[in-house]
Amino acid sequence: MYKLKAKCFELFLFSTKLFGNSKGIYSERSEKSYMNDDILEEIRNGSRDAFKQFYDTYQSYAVRTAKAITKNDEYAKDAVQEAFIRVYRNISSYKPTLSFDAWFYRILVNECYRILTKEKKNKSVDTSAMENREHLTEQSNENLSDLYSMIQNMADTYRIPILLKYINGFSEKEIATILDLNQNTVKSRLFNGRNLLKTQLEMMEMEGI
Amino acid sequence: MDHLDDRVKKEILDHTEDTPSTLKEDIWNHIDQELFQTKSGKAKKVKRTSKVIPISIAAAAGVMILFSTQTESGSAFIKQMKDMFVPEKEIVQSIEGNEEETNVNLQEGKNSEYIIYIDEERYKLVPGEASDIITTKEPLEERYPEVSMEIKQFTDIAPREMVSNLETELASEYTKVTETEPVTEPVEGFKMHGISGSEWDSPVTNVYVIDNLNGGSFVITEKYFLEAAEGHGARFYAMLQEFKIIE
Repeated sequence: MYKLKAKCFELFLFSTKLFGNSKGIYSERSEKSYMNDDILEEIRNGSRDAFKQFYDTYQSYAVRTAKAITKNDEYAKDAVQEAFIRVYRNISSYKPTLSFDAWFYRILVNECYRILTKEKKNKSVDTSAMENREHLTEQSNENLSDLYSMIQNMADTYRIPILLKYINGFSEKEIATILDLNQNTVKSRLFNGRNLLKTQLEMMEMEGI
Repeated sequence: MDHLDDRVKKEILDHTEDTPSTLKEDIWNHIDQELFQTKSGKAKKVKRTSKVIPISIAAAAGVMILFSTQTESGSAFIKQMKDMFVPEKEIVQSIEGNEEETNVNLQEGKNSEYIIYIDEERYKLVPGEASDIITTKEPLEERYPEVSMEIKQFTDIAPREMVSNLETELASEYTKVTETEPVTEPVEGFKMHGISGSEWDSPVTNVYVIDNLNGGSFVITEKYFLEAAEGHGARFYAMLQEFKIIE
């Protein structure tokens, strides 16, 4: 029974991501969590299978988000790893008053920040270990497109809300919860960030002409 | 520009394209090892505290004050009551294994809601809009994580609800969060503890939730780093022993 529910949960998530929202990309998704209550309960009871199911469903977008925030595949891997471990260890403190996804991504984003702060302090540390990861360096060395570079060169104030919105389709309210900000602050940062991008793109296109 | 959102989304997704299966496996293997292959990683059930421990009103010489601060006579009485506290005294605290005699000074919290004695040689109380923060007198170098003790009152959130909210918050901010426990020292209430890492500069927090005896809670949040546990941590503990609610 559990496996059937888990499969339905996975299919639901897949179809949501595959076909998107009928109102289009820009419209925000509902705040209903993708996390199934039964799976949550199984995880609370220590089920490895349920946790693996949750991992399989969430890891892909978690890695995408962490990669985008940290701009470094190795940091992203560490952040995702730690975030999942923390979720498992602290699942008892999750309250359904908060969307599960917002809770999960709050942990993930905080973990990204923690790793970035730590690495900033140890900047002189040898980075050769990272370069030995074939599958990780491939993407790191890739030339970024102009639009992606623009986004990644924005101040974190704008960059992080934009990444959460466009990668995960989070609502302003959810982004506010994840980043522990006022919803209006998020709204204004998204608006200003988007305008900045628009202006830069226009300038780039004009120069191109 | 009509399709800016589509372009932004596509660009971001293209550049964070799906995880290679080897990476997915690597991450899972690490998680699996950490959580399911070692005894210490087993899920720890958070024991819910079933009742709120009532806290007695601590005032000078244990006198219970029931006057309202809203009336002139009430305010006058509160002032009179505060005058009963000595402005300065000496406490003995254990710092890194040594007994240390420290002079502490009386400080009145926001809206005369509480008093606390502060080691003013090392710390200062910074009153804020919503809360008061006790922090180091001299700013710490940038390499040190935050060292502070925030005192905040939530007039409409009872301790049990407050604890529940904070448990969620702490779990999202710290790698390890210990079970909430009722404590009688340094204050009477609930204690939560969080830590991220085991390095010298790993951030540490102790959060105390105290019944404000009026349907709300005081939340005291200590922040320091692992290496400072015996220093700032111990000094915060000693100062908190001198924390008294004034109702």
